[in-house]
Amino acid sequence: MSLNHLMQASAAGDDAALIRYVRLHLGDGNEAGGRAEIDKAWIVALKALLPDPPTDYAFVRKLVAERDLATLAHLFFYVHFALVAASETWIHDGTL
Amino acid sequence: MAPSEQLRPDLWTTVNERYPGSMIRKSDAVALATLGVPLERARLCFVSSAGVQPIGTLPFDVAHPLGDFSYRTVPSNAVPSDLEIHQLKYPSAGATQDLNVIFPIERLQELVAAGRLGSLTPQFFSFIGYNMDPVRFERDFAERLAAAVHAQEPDVALLAPA
Repeated sequence: MSLNHLMQASAAGDDAALIRYVRLHLGDGNEAGGRAEIDKAWIVALKALLPDPPTDYAFVRKLVAERDLATLAHLFFYVHFALVAASETWIHDGTL
Repeated sequence: MAPSEQLRPDLWTTVNERYPGSMIRKSDAVALATLGVPLERARLCFVSSAGVQPIGTLPFDVAHPLGDFSYRTVPSNAVPSDLEIHQLKYPSAGATQDLNVIFPIERLQELVAAGRLGSLTPQFFSFIGYNMDPVRFERDFAERLAAAVHAQEPDVALLAPA
């Protein structure tokens, strides 16, 4: 879906089209695959925290407080891929 | 990953349905330029959308939902072990084993050594093809890339999609 179509969907409040695009992107063109990848990333994130390891919460607070929304959104997409890469069930053909 | 395990069967036959507006139809194609010198004396510049880049350069942004509108320069005298691929949108297992199947840098070097091709520009160019803004791609990125290629003073440019 091109930027023009996404902008039109956003202006029309067509959230279904927007999330479909996200799933297509994360699933390399396979919407169901993308949905599964989103779930996978959250499972990896939760499992990483279950042992309750020390984390840099101050860094997280500082990052979110100081960075603009677009950069955080960009990070959100990147972290998704980083988490699924850590899952050891990498479905993509290439590398980050 | 075996081909049968790929998540995207039939992607390319349904790409316009899945990504509406991302395919460009051109009715005002520019005529190809005539090669002014024989290939044996021509200086060639290679341009690829395979996401190949020198190790140590900033990896292409494969996470951004709209794609990456930047290019990398690749020294034409590089060897495959100097280079790596950063992309997610095409099967690259074969290219990882032998970069020349997608980015034939050694084949081009061999053609020069054999006298079949005059020379190579000092720099080649690479980018990723996942760009979801066709207008920006054509009017900004392609213009910047064309200027960079032109600055290498090639007689001929070889364009290869991934």
